[in-house]
Order: sequence, then structure tokens, then C-alpha cells
Amino acid sequence: MTEARVEVKDLEKRYPVQKSVFRSAKDFIHAVDGINFRIDPGESLGLVGESGCGKTTTGRMLVKLLEVTGGEVLLQDSGEVIDISHITDKDDLKRFRSDVQMIFQDPFESMNPRRTVYDTIAEPLTVQRIGTVPDREAKVAELLNLVGLTPAESFMFRFPHELSGGQRQRVAIARALIVDPTFVVADEPTSMLDVSIRISVMDLMLKLADRLNVSYLYITHDLAVARYMCDRIAVMYLGKIVELADTEDLLGHPMHPYTRALLSAVPVPDPSYQRPPVEIKGGISKSINPEPRCRFYDRCPIAREDICGVQDHPPLEEKAPNHWVACYLVDKQPA
Amino acid sequence: MTTPLVEDSTGGLKTGDTLLEVDNLIMRYKTKQGYVSAVEDVSFVLHKGEALGLVGESGCGKTSVALSLLRLQADNGEILGGEIRLGGKDLVPISEDEMRRHRWNDVSMVFQGAMNSWNPVYRVGDQIKEALDLHWPERLNRAETRQRIGDLFALVGLDSDAQDRYPHEFSGGMRQRAVIAMALSCNPQVIIADEPTTALDVIVQDQILKELKKIQADLNMSIIYISHDIAVIAEVTDRTGVMYAGKMVEFGDTGDIFSAPRHPYAWLLLSSTPSIVGPRRKLAPLEGEPPNLLDPPSGCRFNPRCPFATDQCRVEEPPLRDIGDDHQVACWNYEQVPVGITSGSVV
Repeated sequence: MTEARVEVKDLEKRYPVQKSVFRSAKDFIHAVDGINFRIDPGESLGLVGESGCGKTTTGRMLVKLLEVTGGEVLLQDSGEVIDISHITDKDDLKRFRSDVQMIFQDPFESMNPRRTVYDTIAEPLTVQRIGTVPDREAKVAELLNLVGLTPAESFMFRFPHELSGGQRQRVAIARALIVDPTFVVADEPTSMLDVSIRISVMDLMLKLADRLNVSYLYITHDLAVARYMCDRIAVMYLGKIVELADTEDLLGHPMHPYTRALLSAVPVPDPSYQRPPVEIKGGISKSINPEPRCRFYDRCPIAREDICGVQDHPPLEEKAPNHWVACYLVDKQPA
Repeated sequence: MTTPLVEDSTGGLKTGDTLLEVDNLIMRYKTKQGYVSAVEDVSFVLHKGEALGLVGESGCGKTSVALSLLRLQADNGEILGGEIRLGGKDLVPISEDEMRRHRWNDVSMVFQGAMNSWNPVYRVGDQIKEALDLHWPERLNRAETRQRIGDLFALVGLDSDAQDRYPHEFSGGMRQRAVIAMALSCNPQVIIADEPTTALDVIVQDQILKELKKIQADLNMSIIYISHDIAVIAEVTDRTGVMYAGKMVEFGDTGDIFSAPRHPYAWLLLSSTPSIVGPRRKLAPLEGEPPNLLDPPSGCRFNPRCPFATDQCRVEEPPLRDIGDDHQVACWNYEQVPVGITSGSVV
């Protein structure tokens, strides 16, 4: 097995729920509750789930926008492994910052309106003091060409308001790639874009992954987009990964009852297609001090009180080759 | 007095009768730089009991059409031509006072993002009561109002007691259900639902769409769905209109449009939509960007991005014409568009 580019071990994020200013918190929101996964070089892993499931929190921890409260994130950097959640060394921090980048959801909010495209894209270089001004200009021009904003000279000194949504997202991609990262966290990078523009941005990201061997963590709520972009998909529910498998395997043979419900709820652009019924109960349960049992118990259509109700949340186990599921009952389901 | 939940104020229209006719509607926004041609020569017919979809990308004019139907377009929006006939009566020339009587009672709207516009300091029920107080033909007393709102809540799958709760106690799906209940409050004949499920998770979206479908069938209601999400349109509508840059470019039976779109834009739009079923396809990107509607391109508005464009398309604007089976297309070269969503190889 090759070395994973990124390996996440028992990653955890808890937010204290402050009830009183004078007392320390007793209750915690378990936003991300002990998840494990690895991403290989050049691989793109999709992280899908409904709002509030912890997918964005996970992404933000991987780029150190949020502090980790438990577990570790290991990053492979030219033969060495850095635990990015506990970096103490300044050099390591610097290396981490050029290895890992993020693309945000909203191209209208993630750019300073008073700075030109050049300023925006070159900022990581300026901050990290890489290269001289002419070097940086050349590098920015190269990236603008790479992301399809040509001719580069005509875009370099424009302001964000002079760009369309698709063009802005291309700038955001260029900004993320300028430091030659090996790993990019993309949080819903195309959800604000129209269909016709979305495809070209997704194709661009795929092309860059191929060419630069970048690994992605692709966070999205849209399974159709995840299918297009990702080699493997992890489904999250209330801070836990409930299923992880190769994309086509997961979509074709979902095993976890939550994944099944989620997949059957996705509308299909074909009026003659009959979706299977969505089998799920009730609304989302709370993530504050969750009961020590399967997180999906209250909504699960197949839950059994004597098994799921009395044991802790099931571990993520390999139920089929490369197909990981966190459910006690999965083996017992007819295939 | 009891208030019937289903009251036929349409003068006994039957399913399939023409309810709303939009004829050559032109609506433009006046700006400092000139007129933005948001709705240009749009015509369609809505039948009783039918679900109609308007689909297109942001800025294509679908919401502008909806707002024009209620004459609620922004202050700088002017209806410069055309007719909007509801049960034969043209709504364009009537006074604002008269128009107000038609809103909610005849045509109501679920606005985009309305679920986030509940006033946080009033109970949800009190906010729906406001609509009833203003628009319901008779004055309802307290008990009648409660009863009415309770009935409406039951219709959208909410508990009757939920009307005493505040918006923050509702989940997103519940808030959207309450918005729909409010739109239904005065027994409208037509509901315009503008992106009714866009901000919701898929499982909740599925529930809301099922609820709307059921209401449509039970009350024999006509619904106009407006969405950028063509998968949603495919699921809930009987007929679909595809809009591009203020123009209706294709109109017809939803099944026909999705199986064999005839307009190049509709064809490309469907070809560039990913799906979780069927083979994994390489999707065809649509090159270029939508035109600036301050100065739309001459001829067909899609011609700069169209792979089938000819010299004629650059000069002469194609009319929306019938090509049989109640299918209308505004394209000179629609016969060249491949039949079916074939573009893109399977990967």
C-alpha cells in the first residue's frame, strides 16, 4: 500500500454549550465524533451528508481553521509525516501552509472586493515571502492560464466585481494552487454556480488533480456532484462516518440504512424514473451529548432495540472489499 | 361559520381547462444604463390542476415572470406589453387596489427564501392570521382563525398546535411547510413556488415535494414551480418551460422535454446535469456565459454559445413555434439537435 497523503485518526471536535457564564460547560456538541479516513496521492475523497452533519467542521480542521479537540491529522510531506493538529515547530507550520489549501463555497464572499485578482492570487506568496515580484507575476500569469482565465494580462488587474461567479471561483482555485499544494480541501466549491458553469469548474478541478497530482477532500451535499468528482465517498451522519466506499460501489450498493435513505431522496433529472421510497423516520436528532448508541437509531427504519439500542455507536467495519459500514445489522440484511 | 378548505372560486373550471394565460409578456427593469430586458415576449398557458415548471439559470427571468404575474416586480420593473389573463380577465391594466384583491385569493406565491423571513418575535400562527385578516373575504373570529390555520397546518403535515410556536422552534422543513400553509390560506387557484426546496436537505426536500404534490392533487390546484434544479422540475411537473436570457426557448410536456429536448440550450443544460442514476457520463460543459441583458445579442439570444448557430441565428430572432405534440421550440435549427441526452461518453 502506498503512503496516504492525508490520514485522519479518531478526529474529534466538541463545542462546549455554555449555560452559564460562571460555570464551565458540562454539555458538548459532538460536531465531529471520532472519524477515520485516508486520502491517497491524487485521490479525491467526497464527504457528503446533510447540513449539520459535521462535514464542514471536518474540512476546517484539516486546514487548521479550527482547533482539533481530539485525534490527529497526519500529513505526508516529502517522506516525512507531520501531525498538523499538533504542530509546534515553525518550519513544520510553514510546510503545512504550502502543502494544504482550501477552496471556499462562496466566490462572492471569499474575495476582498478592494484587491485585484493579482493581489488575491499572489497573497499566499506574499505572506510566505516566496519569490520576487516578477517571479510572482509570472507565477500568477501561469496559474491564470491554467485555470482558463485567458489572456492572463487582461484578468490580472481586475477587481472581483468585474468577474462572474464562475470566473471568481477559478480565481479561488488559482489562489489555492499557487503554493503548489499537495492537498486541497474544497468546501462546496460549485454549489453557488449555475449548472452550465459548474461543469467547467468541476472539469478544471479534475484536470488539475490529474496534472498536479493534488489530493482533494471534496465536501458537498450534492451526491450527483460527488459522483462526478470523487473516487471514493464518505457519508457522514451526526459527526460520524457511517459508510465509506468507492463512488460507484457506494451509489450502486449502499449498505447503511442512512445512505439508502439519502440516495433514494435525491431527485433524478428523468421524469420516467421512479425513485424507491425514502425510508427514514422523524427529523435530525441532537448532537449535544448524544446517547451512547447508534447515532441513527431514532431515525433508522431497521433498528433493533436489543442490538442497536443497547450498544454504543457501531464501529466502521469493512463489510465488503473496500466498503466500510458502521451498522450492526448490515451483515444480516439480504444482499 | 365554517370555512371550506377547498372552495372553487373559479366558476366551476374543470381539470384541464385554461386557468391562466400569459401572452407576449414583456417586462423590463429600468436602470441608469438603460432597460434590462428581463422577460421578453413570454407566452404560456396554465391549466386547472396542472403543475408547470419554469427552469433556467440565475438571471434567465424565471422569477421575473413569477413576480410579473402578481405584479410584484421591483419598483423599476415595468410591464411594457402583453397580457396576463386569469380566468379570461387581464390583470395588466387593472388598478393596484383591484390587483391586491387577486393576490392571495387567486394567485399566491411561496417566495424564494421565505422560510427565513418569518418574523422571529411573533408566533407563526399570528403571522398567518395577518394574511387571513387582510385577504380573507369575511372577517374571521378568533376560534375560526385558529380552526382555519389548524386545518391548513394539517394539510401541510404540521401539528395544529404548532401555530402557537415561534419560528426559532421550527426546523427548516417545518418553516417551509408553514410558508406553504400561508400561501394556501386564502384558497388560491394558483400557487407560484419559487425555489421551494432550494435551501433544504434532500430528505426534507423529498418530503416537501411529496406534500406539495399531494396538495395539488387533493385540492385540484395549479402550481407553477420555478427552479434552477432541473431534477426537481423533472419530478414534480406535468409541463415545463425552459427559459434563457428572458426568453422562453422551449415549452412542452415534461416527459418530452427531458427525453428529447429540441432547443440546443435545453439539450446542453440537460447534458451538463450530473445524476446519481444511469451510467457515469462525462458531462458536456456549456461554453461561455449568459448575455448581458442590457444589450442582448441580436438574433437568437443563445447564438454566441450555440454549437448549431448559423448566420440566420445571428440576425433573425426565432419565434417560439409549434413542432407537434404541444411542443414548442424557439430555434431555427432544432432539427439538428440530437434526439436524447447522448452527449458525453460514458466514463
